This record gives sequence, structure tokens and C-alpha cells, in this order.
Amino acid sequence: MAEERPGSWFGFGFCGFGQALGSGRGRQVLSPEPLRLPDAGTDICGVSAAWSYTAFVSRAGRVLLSGSAGGAADGCRDAWASETLLVVLRDGRGPGPGAELQAWAPGSALRGEPLWAQTVAPEAGREDGAGGGTRAGPLPLLPCARAYVSPRPPLYRPLAPELRARRLELGAEHALLLDEAGQVYSWGGGRHGQLGHGTLEAELAPRLLEALQGLRMAEVAAGGWHSVCVSEMGDIYIWGWNESGQLALPARGLAEDGQTVAGEATALKEDGSGVKGPAGTEEGAAAPFIAVQPFPALLDLPLGSDAVTASCGSRHTAVVTRTGELYTWGWGHPRLLTRTVAETPEHKQVSGRLLHRQIRGRGESEKKPSHQAAGTGQDEIWSLLFCVSAAASECAEGSLVSAKPVS
Amino acid sequence: MAEDSNRDALAGPGALWEALRALLPRTKEELRLDLRASVEGSVVVLLQQAADLFYGGRRSECLQACEAVLDYSWEKLNTGLWQDVDKDWRRVYAFGCLLKAMCLCEAPGDSATVAAALRACDMGLLMGAAIFDDILIKVAAVLQAHLLPGKRPAQGPAPEQPRLKKARNGHVSIPDMRSEKAVPRLHCPSLQHFRKHYLIPQTPVILEGVADHWPCMKKWSLEYIQEIAGCRTVPVEVGSRYTDEEWSQRLMTVSEFISCYILNEPRDVGYLAQHQLFDQIPELKQDISIPDYCCLGDGEEEEITINAWFGPPGTVSPLHQDPQQNFLAQESEAVYPHDTHLLHNTSQVGPRGLAAPPPPPGGRTTLQPSSVLSLLRCDLPSGNCVVIPWAPSQEAVPKARKRPLATAGQPSCPPGAPASQLPAHCSLGRGLDVRLSMYIYFVHINVLVLFV
Repeated sequence: MAEERPGSWFGFGFCGFGQALGSGRGRQVLSPEPLRLPDAGTDICGVSAAWSYTAFVSRAGRVLLSGSAGGAADGCRDAWASETLLVVLRDGRGPGPGAELQAWAPGSALRGEPLWAQTVAPEAGREDGAGGGTRAGPLPLLPCARAYVSPRPPLYRPLAPELRARRLELGAEHALLLDEAGQVYSWGGGRHGQLGHGTLEAELAPRLLEALQGLRMAEVAAGGWHSVCVSEMGDIYIWGWNESGQLALPARGLAEDGQTVAGEATALKEDGSGVKGPAGTEEGAAAPFIAVQPFPALLDLPLGSDAVTASCGSRHTAVVTRTGELYTWGWGHPRLLTRTVAETPEHKQVSGRLLHRQIRGRGESEKKPSHQAAGTGQDEIWSLLFCVSAAASECAEGSLVSAKPVS
Repeated sequence: MAEDSNRDALAGPGALWEALRALLPRTKEELRLDLRASVEGSVVVLLQQAADLFYGGRRSECLQACEAVLDYSWEKLNTGLWQDVDKDWRRVYAFGCLLKAMCLCEAPGDSATVAAALRACDMGLLMGAAIFDDILIKVAAVLQAHLLPGKRPAQGPAPEQPRLKKARNGHVSIPDMRSEKAVPRLHCPSLQHFRKHYLIPQTPVILEGVADHWPCMKKWSLEYIQEIAGCRTVPVEVGSRYTDEEWSQRLMTVSEFISCYILNEPRDVGYLAQHQLFDQIPELKQDISIPDYCCLGDGEEEEITINAWFGPPGTVSPLHQDPQQNFLAQESEAVYPHDTHLLHNTSQVGPRGLAAPPPPPGGRTTLQPSSVLSLLRCDLPSGNCVVIPWAPSQEAVPKARKRPLATAGQPSCPPGAPASQLPAHCSLGRGLDVRLSMYIYFVHINVLVLFV
């Protein structure tokens, strides 16, 4: 199995707080640019972005903060950044494999004492590093899969063990859980249909998404008020709020702004081969506007590509396909197309890892999404988008699909 | 109000800018919001940056910072229930709107730019909270004065003689009336009499002569409202019933609303969503008075909340149609534009914050009326007031509920109550030929003053 090669990170989006996008050219970066960190040799294996700062986790166990919050700390396995709280999973202070979960105020620069700390049980019978099988995913899910972290109190929230959680993602008001059987659960607020149960009612406890029952999902991602999941076959299911086109469905707000680019604001459902209809301002021609999608909807990518992984910002969505393309859609402001990444030889095979909520995948080059109701890349508050690019050429196809440890 | 210099498009912006700039404090230190810890430090930094950029004359960067502030605070305003949204976030939002409006007007621009600035003010008024002594209202007044009728961006056709329209009965089902009673009429009763015989026993009554002296009775017409408030952005609900697939809530100017939904045989039913119109547009507030009877309530006079509703004739309230139904706890929050086209399972699902009708057992949002008031029937000639007291709901609800409600109302039918109240089922007669009808609803004493 090919080893995971170190790659380089790219970012784009809003960096008004100086979140180390490296270009230093101003408040926003329009298309992915290589990331330059102060410590050039640092091998970043994980990134977590909040609105005004970013946390980088290196393979050596160092967490670096950049942006409105600074500082660094060692001995960290994982980090999860939110605007109010930085959560770090650190090696336990005592002997043994246990870890300590710490919650810090972002402004504390990881100095002094954390706001809150708790020892977490080590994973039973699992090893860090390479290996088959799935392990509980990154924060906010804890390694033991028995609990997760929330940015709002109570910070430590237990999960029923029978859920067998593999990944957990948090939106602004809801939570998504992927279990080991590939089933998706959701709970929390539901007023924008983000739970996917077909209603706008809230759910207090994890509830199985019946619409997806039986389909094995590989990834889940949660945006502010929308949800995405990717099946093992490469299909994308998406649901929730579409006010900015984050579901790749026609959105009134975008049409009314009238700034859709080059008339490409059509629903993504068309076969990608050149069906680019007029901008959806014509009431009769375009499909009706959809603000809320309370059930999962299947989303077809252009050219019938299979998705590998997905990630969401608060109002946008990004997907990496099996053939290595990155598609993004949703809120971006003002509307500009994402340009393709400069084609340089190093970028032949890219292992794409997108932020915010990490995506893993391969991206060869970034193509323009055929649905570009809102261009991404400029001034997306939540969208520090990072891709890892493998320096050398091939990675075995198999290595893509099998789950690699994230951190 | 408008100065002659404003008539000239070229000289105008200079005077406009001067007038706007005079509203702001002279130094950036004074343009500071005191915010609690619930607003994150990064946002506070960004606000300071925006203020610095503004006072430093760096308009486009200030605009960018404002947009970032607006986008982030908008997300906060949309997280959770409206009543739980921290007021400081609304102040942050208002601050962003203020600076955005100012930045848009700094350079000479055409009337579309000024209209955009006014729209930014209106968004701040609708969704934000008061800052710097209601500065947004002052800014809006200046901008509005600048937008003279001839200079407004193109709207719908100029209002013609409004045609009288019959109430539409086509798709309205006759409600099941439990009983019919005649509503008594009184001419300016004494406060004591009113209180004893109508307010305390919660009996509806028609009060004649109460609003006779209100300036609005003489002044208000479509033309007048268009002149006073035509370029202001207001929330509008489209669709005769919120359960309809076509039901949506969006923002538009009053002129657009009138031309699309009141005049000219509108295709769709649309009505101005009930919200505190008079706080947003104080010029209209001058035309009404608060009836003395409102002082009989428990709260302070300052707490009297005045909501207004207006719509075309013939609109039918969904509540009217299903008196047995639970009342829709209108938890609707502040309005922002999104259209709800429900693809699936529409009957159970409503737009944000609006409880769907019949909720599942154990559903959370709708209020159970403690008692359904019996239906009343009366004929109400134009210009009268009907006072409809009703019982508060059993839920304890915070007083500061001033969200716009989702309701379509026939002129004869009161709107759905805010969640703190129960609506009365009153059918006050059909077939009224009116051009527009308006409810003014004084919240705190549970009294609806309706005039047609």
C-alpha cells in the first residue's frame, strides 16, 4: 500500500485575520494558493479552520495557530477550532495511552491552563498509524467514539455506544453521525431541513436517516444549516438550507442578485457536457427556487463523476471526486468563479484534503463547477479551503478509498 | 425636507454625504459599541477595523470589512430561535448596515446606489437592534429625502386610480362557525365602561369614533403611503396560505409591494407581513395615535407594541378556514429573503419559524388555544375601530415578541396573533370593497384595533 506522501497545502478564502494563507495580498484569496507557514518544514497532517483563525496539526504532534489567535503547543494529536473554543486532544500527562481533551480560549495562545480538561479513555484495541479498519474519526468525535465535543456547554457530550460512531460533524444547530455500518444519524435543530427527516422539527437524540437506510455512506459533512454525505459508490446526497445555493439547487437570492457569472447558474443536475443554461433569473425557464430541502436529494456531478469526500463551510459545499477534481458551490461573495489551479507537474496527483471539516481525496486540478450560482473562493468566511497536493505522481488507487488515519 | 440642491444629481451626493456624515460622531472612538462577551473578540476587532477604515476614508476596504461583519452576524441571527438571539449580535448587524450604507453613499452615485444604501438601513432596522440612538432611522430619513420621486429607481407602473375589488371567495371554504353573535357597537365609551364590560370579560366590541381624529383617516391612501414610504424595504408574504407551495416571504420596497400585490390585478396574493412598521418608518407613526383604551393594560405605555398589517382586499386568512385547527404559533423571526418552494411533503412543512399546521403528537411549536372564542359576525363600514380583546395563551412568553407574523388576512378578519396571544375568530363580514386594509395591533394589552 502506498504510503501517504507528504503533500503541500493550498488555501483560499477570507483571510482578513491573516490566517496564514501565505499570499499576504489582502483580505481574500481568490483561488487556491500554496500555503506558507512560518515553520517551513512542518509537515501538516490536519487543519481545522474557524472564522478568524486556523489550527494546523503537524505529524510531529504540534499544533500551530494562525490568524486572530496565535500560539503553538506540542504533544497534540488533534485539534478542532471554533470561534469560541479551541479543542485539543493531547497526549495524556500520565503513563499509558490515554489522552487528555482540553478546551482553550482561542486567545490564550495555548498558554497557561485550559478552560476545561478531561481525560479520555483510550481506544480499545486500536493502534494509531496505518492499518486497516476504520477508527473513530477526528474531533469533534473523540477517539473512543463514546462522546464528542461541542463548542457550547456542555462541552463533553456522551454518545450511545450502540451507535458505533465513526465520524461526527457539527453544524450550527445540528449534528451528523456516521456509524461503522455506513448509516447516518442526525439530531439537533431542524428548522432548515438540515436533519433530513422530511420535517422541520428538531430531534433531541440521534435519529436514523431513513431515506438513506441501506446505502452505505463513506463520508458525512455538515455545514451551518445543511448536510452532505457521500456514499461508498460515490454518490452525493445533500439536504438542508439552500439560501446561498449550497445544495446546488436554484436559489432565489442568487438569481435576484443577478450577478451569476457568465450565465452558468443552472442546476447541477445536468450532464456536465456543456449544458449551461441561462442564469436562473427567468422565472419560467429555470427550475423553481428551492430554499429548504428537508429530505436527502441525490446530486449528480458533471460528467457523472464519483465523489470521494465532501466538506462544508457554513454556507458552501466542496467535493473531491475520484478522478481528482474539486468542486465547490454555495456562498461566495461577490460571485467569482474558481479558477483552475496552475497546472504544474507537481500537481499531477493530488491528495486533496479540504477544509473546513476535512475532506480527503485526490484532486488533479480544480475545474470550474458547472453550477456556479455563486462563485467560491472570494471572501468566504468559513471557507479556508486547503488541499494537499502529493508531490510525486501515482498513489495507488486503492489507497484512496481505504481510510487512512487522519492525524 | 428635500433641499433644492438635492434635485441636481451631480450636486446631490455632496449634500447627501454631508448630511449623512453629520449624523455620525466626529471621532472613531465615539463610534464604538459596548458589547458583552457573547460577541467574540475577533468580531470586536473587525468592528474596530471597520470603524478605523471608515474614518480613515478607505471606503472599499471598509465595505469589505462591513460585509464580513454582516455575513458573520447574519449567521448568528439565523442560529437558533429569534427570541434567543443575543441582542448584541443584532446590534453588530445594525452597525454593519450603518457603515455599509454610509460607505455606499460616500462617492457620488446614482439613485440606485442610494436605494441600495436605504435598503441596507432597512435591513438593519428589520433585523438589527437600535444603536447610537436610533441612528439608522435618521440615516434612512436622510436617504429617503434624497430619493425624490423623480429620482427613484424604476418601479412598477405609477399607481393609477385603484380599482375597487370584490373579495375573492373562490377558493375560500366557509368556516365552521360554532355560533354567531352580533358585536355590540359603542360610540367612544368611557374608559371605565369599556374596561368593565369589555376588556375584563374579553368581549369584543366595535368602538365608533375612536380613530376619527387620527390623521391617517384623512391622509392615508395608496398614493400617500407610496409617497411617504415607497422606497422602504419591508417584509412581504406571498401566497394566500402559508401552507401553499407558493407561499414565501421576501423583502421588497413598499412601491414594489403596492404595484405587484395591491394594484393591477395581482397574480399572486401578497401582503405586508405584520411587523413593527411604525418603528421602521416613523413618518407613518405620526399619523396614528394610541387609543386611550390601551392605557388600561398592565404594562407601561412604552411597552405598547404596534404592529401593522396591510394587504389587498379579498385575502383570506388560513386561520379563518380552519377554526378547529391549532393556532400557529407564529414564532416567525425577522425576515430575510428566501423563497420556500417545498418539494416534499409540503403540508407538514412550513418556512422557517412558522409552525406547520397540525403538528405531530407531542409537537412542540403550536399553541393550544385554551378556548376558542366563538365566531362573531358583524358588518363594519370603513373607518371604524373594532376592539377585540382576547385571552393570553397559557404559555409564558416573553413580552418582547415583535416578530412579523405570517398571516394573510381578509380585511374583515384579524391576523393570527403573535405567540403571546390568541387570535379571536372574528369574521367581520365579507365582500368589503376596500382598497387596502390595515390593522394596527397594540400588543401589550391584548387589544386589536382594526380599522378598515
